[in-house]
Amino acid sequence: MRNIVTFRAGKFTVAVTALLALAGGFVGVNAAAARQPSAAVTGETYVIGTDTTFAPFEYREDGELTGIDMDLIRDIAENQGFSVEIKSLGFDAALQALQSNQVDGVIAGMSITDERELIFDFSDPYFDSGVQMAVAEDNTEITGYSDLDGETVVAKRGSEGETFANSIKDEYHFTVKALADSATMYDDVKAGNSVAVFDDYPVLAYGINQNNGLKSVTEKEQGSSYGFAVNKGQNPELLAAFNTGLAELKSGGEYQDILDKYLDAPATSNDTSFFGLLSDSLPALMKGLGLTLLATGLSILIALVLGVMFGFFKVSESRVLRGIASAYVSIFRGTPLLVQAFFFYFGLPQLTGQSIDVLTAGVLTLSLNAGAYMTEIVRGGIQSVDPGQTEAGRSLGLGYATTMRRVVLPQAVKIMTPSFINQFVMTLKDTSLLAVIGFAELTYQGQQIYASNFRTGETLLIVAALYFIVINLLTMLSNKLDKRFNK
Amino acid sequence: MSKTSVDSKVSVKGLRKSFGSNEVLKGLNVEIMEGEVVCVIGPSGSGKSTFLRCLNKLDELSAGTVIVDGFNLGDKTVDLNEVRQHIGMVFQHFNLFPHMTVLQNIMLAPVELKKESKADARATAVKLLDRVGLADKADARPAQLSGGQKQRVAIARSLAVNPDIMLFDEATSALDPEMVGEVLQVIRDLAADGMTMVVVTHEMGFAREVADRVIFMADGLIVEEGTPAELFGNPQQERTQDFLSKVL
Ligand SMILES: Nc1ncnc2c1ncn2[C@@H]1O[C@H](COP(=O)(O)OP(=O)(O)OP(=O)(O)O)[C@@H](O)[C@H]1O
Ligand SMILES: [Mg+2]
Repeated sequence: MRNIVTFRAGKFTVAVTALLALAGGFVGVNAAAARQPSAAVTGETYVIGTDTTFAPFEYREDGELTGIDMDLIRDIAENQGFSVEIKSLGFDAALQALQSNQVDGVIAGMSITDERELIFDFSDPYFDSGVQMAVAEDNTEITGYSDLDGETVVAKRGSEGETFANSIKDEYHFTVKALADSATMYDDVKAGNSVAVFDDYPVLAYGINQNNGLKSVTEKEQGSSYGFAVNKGQNPELLAAFNTGLAELKSGGEYQDILDKYLDAPATSNDTSFFGLLSDSLPALMKGLGLTLLATGLSILIALVLGVMFGFFKVSESRVLRGIASAYVSIFRGTPLLVQAFFFYFGLPQLTGQSIDVLTAGVLTLSLNAGAYMTEIVRGGIQSVDPGQTEAGRSLGLGYATTMRRVVLPQAVKIMTPSFINQFVMTLKDTSLLAVIGFAELTYQGQQIYASNFRTGETLLIVAALYFIVINLLTMLSNKLDKRFNK
Repeated sequence: MSKTSVDSKVSVKGLRKSFGSNEVLKGLNVEIMEGEVVCVIGPSGSGKSTFLRCLNKLDELSAGTVIVDGFNLGDKTVDLNEVRQHIGMVFQHFNLFPHMTVLQNIMLAPVELKKESKADARATAVKLLDRVGLADKADARPAQLSGGQKQRVAIARSLAVNPDIMLFDEATSALDPEMVGEVLQVIRDLAADGMTMVVVTHEMGFAREVADRVIFMADGLIVEEGTPAELFGNPQQERTQDFLSKVL
């Protein structure tokens, strides 16, 4: 469980919700298209949103989504005779998607809270979580809270673990340090910077299970319960089916089997060498890289069209066209790409009632964003050509369009090419930001992998190396083509 | 210089031109006959270039009428691209197209304007290059030419659309002194062929030699005009005398 988990309880959610609420309220359309409730679930297919990586509840193994939540929802669906289509969106993204009815339900290791019950309907609790304390495997001194006197412990920022640690720190005289995600916390403890970590029991149990170098030393404290959620008042039949199915799995013993599988079973014997990691992770990363290149290619092509069009608007004699182009450029250069991505994926469906798939939203974001920069590149390129060239063309009796096409543009393109190549690389790198809306590109795949194997550093090195290789190959190729055609 | 016709090629009446609040041309009246060579002289900033650019409407007119080759440039229905094919223009800084060869520079307009087939345009271009003495440079790029050669190519390029009138804006000012002669010779040849020309120049000797008429401009007005002999030999206005005393 990674950065996504920071979002889970953090102010990030609040900020995004506020932003979207603001957008919705501003236009005055807050409700989204309602789904027709069906009498029964049999034969229906439901779209279920989930987190990207919150091991052991959901994570990817060899590219396949797995985990307690995944096994549970699939088994319940089978038990109740409906089908599910799982969308791995990220925690915040899944909740946003649920609110905008882009998904029918969310199962994402989500605590049932009073706040959330205002906007969602929850199933019966399917898992009782709680905070537990762990120390380094070889630590024999710390066996309980009373051994923490004068020491420093870590907890995840904004999590229940932090709240709990703070509630007992005065009694046991220790200091609490807050970190952003589990992997970092575990590394901190192993490095000896802090002696113990307070984390959610299932996460900790799973990590220990995966040989993360820690061991738990206390019983879990009573904590929150996890529930399956549907949008308030929507899909009541799905909620009912979930509850019935859950009860049946519990009485049939399958429920306990699932828990044991992830929390008790001995770790699978993974190849722990770097090359083992490389060969294990490469298939998923390559799939991600493919999507990265697809999104980059599509976005750059559309951006090129936009850039040429608005670039011409910018150098035109019409004040209206210049105004339109300037407005476009300032909007997309004047707002962060991340906000744009959230807006197109979550905000727009709320405003229009029309859901949008993640590739479309991602490409829309990147192409409109890159298009704004392309516009400036095209404008700059055209304006950097000596006006005497246009005058020479026009004085020969050539029209504006012909002069542009034959005289100005060939020279402008030559000037623009290095900037184009630069923008291409920027856009390729920007695709990594789409991981936050659950677009399964390279960075996202990397996050998935280290979220379940806890080998953050090595995995990111591989991801970075892939970016580095691809970007440099493409840059070399572009420069070659540039030299070849722009002598 | 013999004149075969007395038809008016260029007729300018009350021409005014302002850039914002700055009035650069303050009411010009000029009549130019077919085959006439008119040289325009005057101090820097007096409006010579602006005047020339109003004749093919590279600059918009603020007031007055300009009639070139029978076309009224103030008339919105007049096809400027058509008119400009009758008027060649040669710039101080050549303005050759750097991404094309010499031949392509010359062929561009005739081919794009569908005046000639590619083959015919090529033949014409080769002939024109020969005429300006650069037959061997057909496949060179502008960057490989000297200033004088560039300007001769630019003249050939203007001639390729077969204009009736040629405008020269200080065609030799950007050249090294040893190259001025070769360009002036091409202009001289054109004059001898009976081309109607308006030549803005700092070369007083050249103006005296080839001009049928010399116009002296200062502060956006025509101060004085006459034959070279009159204007250079016996200037009437103090402003003209003053200018000539500085440049001669
Ligand atoms: N595009 C323009 N915008 C604003 N002012 C201009 C423009 N073009 C020319 N001017 C102004 O008009 C005046 C006349 O310029 P013009 O170029 O016609 O003079 P000139 O007689 O050709 O001078 P020179 O001998 O230096 O070439 C100058 O004061 C100049 O600054
Ligand atoms: Mg000038």
